[in-house]
Amino acid sequence: MSPEELRALVRAARLDDVWAAFPDDVAIAAGAAEAIGRAIAGPAGPADELWPRMRPNDEPWPPMRPDDPA
Amino acid sequence: MSSLPWMSAAGIAAAYKARRLSPVELVTDLLARIERLQPRLHVFTRLDAPGALAAAREAEAEIAAGRHRGPLHGVPVGVKDVIDVGGLPTSCHSRLMRDHVAAEDAGAVARLREAGAIVLGKLSTHEFALGGPSFDLPFPPARNPWNPDHHPGGSSSGSGAGLAAGLFPLALGTDTGGSVRHPASACGIVGLKPTYGVVSRHGVFPVAWTLDHVGPMARTVADAAALLQAMAGHDARDPASVDRPAAYGAALDQPVRGLRIGFVRRFHERDMVADPQVAAALEDVAAVLAAEGARISDVDLPPLGEFAAVNRAILTNEAWAVHAPWMRTRAGEYGQLSRQRMLVGAFLRAEDLVQAQRRRRQLTRAVNAAFREVDVLLLASSMDPACRIEAADEITRTYPRQARTPFNLTGHPALAMMCGLSAAGLPLSVQFTGPLFGVAQVLRVAAAYERATGWHERHPALD
Repeated sequence: MSPEELRALVRAARLDDVWAAFPDDVAIAAGAAEAIGRAIAGPAGPADELWPRMRPNDEPWPPMRPDDPA
Repeated sequence: MSSLPWMSAAGIAAAYKARRLSPVELVTDLLARIERLQPRLHVFTRLDAPGALAAAREAEAEIAAGRHRGPLHGVPVGVKDVIDVGGLPTSCHSRLMRDHVAAEDAGAVARLREAGAIVLGKLSTHEFALGGPSFDLPFPPARNPWNPDHHPGGSSSGSGAGLAAGLFPLALGTDTGGSVRHPASACGIVGLKPTYGVVSRHGVFPVAWTLDHVGPMARTVADAAALLQAMAGHDARDPASVDRPAAYGAALDQPVRGLRIGFVRRFHERDMVADPQVAAALEDVAAVLAAEGARISDVDLPPLGEFAAVNRAILTNEAWAVHAPWMRTRAGEYGQLSRQRMLVGAFLRAEDLVQAQRRRRQLTRAVNAAFREVDVLLLASSMDPACRIEAADEITRTYPRQARTPFNLTGHPALAMMCGLSAAGLPLSVQFTGPLFGVAQVLRVAAAYERATGWHERHPALD
């Protein structure tokens, strides 16, 4: 990630002050987020969405109750 | 040496009933032991000796008067310091919460008090059950009783260390990515993450609400079952709480003959190659259960790394939602590990969270499919014995080397327990997991293994 990209992410997350005080921690976290995004890539589509499980009058939360068969 | 520190909750209840022991006698003995070992092990963030003694006197009077409330009456319990105990601080092991005093008991604690359990105090954790082990927090991290130079696992560190050290027979932990089962593995005790929704999280400071569980920790499987029985049950104040009463200890004495146990070797043989001592111990577990009559077969699941990545995406997103306001204004009051781990959520994209939830559904389907073929899964918990707590590089290397996060993601019940000792004298561990709401099945296998091997009778040499 380039310094410019990191600066843009920090600004979007409203973390300018945190970045100024703890630049290494912010850089490590941003790098980890990028790695997670890559790691969870893979085929997934509408059949995997949570919303098809919901029935009329269902509570919208929690999204994955264990007694709601996946 | 007194035998009181190693008594099980079941043994304590029997001794009370036979008038061979009183709650005041037990609590007094344990408080003296805590005073002696706390400076070495840092198990407590707040010990409530006056409150514990008052509760012990009350229990003693009730039992003497014939008003016995049940198996936990007069039995001491430690509570992880992210769980509210009315009148005591819930510090979350953090400067940000150090002065916060809980107004009332968490749902699980209230049920334990109704059952007559005695709260000894609040137990060390990682900061907000996430950032640790750390030396830049208001309390030192707990140490492993088997070797205090080593990590006791986390984040329910004080719970695991205190049980292994004989400071209390029961403890509460929380588990978002394995935090009940990690200290159970590192300290050689029993840690159970029940099915999602079985124990109320009301009054528990959240890490990530779709992954958070409260779980029982104990030195024996029967005690873990009894503790779960006392604190499980529907609580409308927790939106994920389920109303599925069960007798968790009903099958503890049943043999495992004929039970189908799936051995998930891929996690520790291919995905994260385990320490050879761990791998050998897992083979021994399978052999013991086969000798008991269980039918062992190989079972495959999706790669461990997929579970871990999806868990981390959801965990950091939800944790960020909790901490963003404080992190933007009080970042310097967090420990460094907390800052690094929580800030990850600030940089994940909306599409990452959507993708993570889709993958979560796929992975849950895969685990559910496995339980159409077998009754219980046998697999690794930690891939390594506990490393030295002050070796930051070793902590960083070994922390993710575990197979616990899959079941936070999918909600399945999972138990970790001791299955051996390393050459250096540190506990080795196994994990059993069962179908959704199949806690009794998991406990049945764990109890059979415990009976057959007796690892629970081994304790660290602290005296």
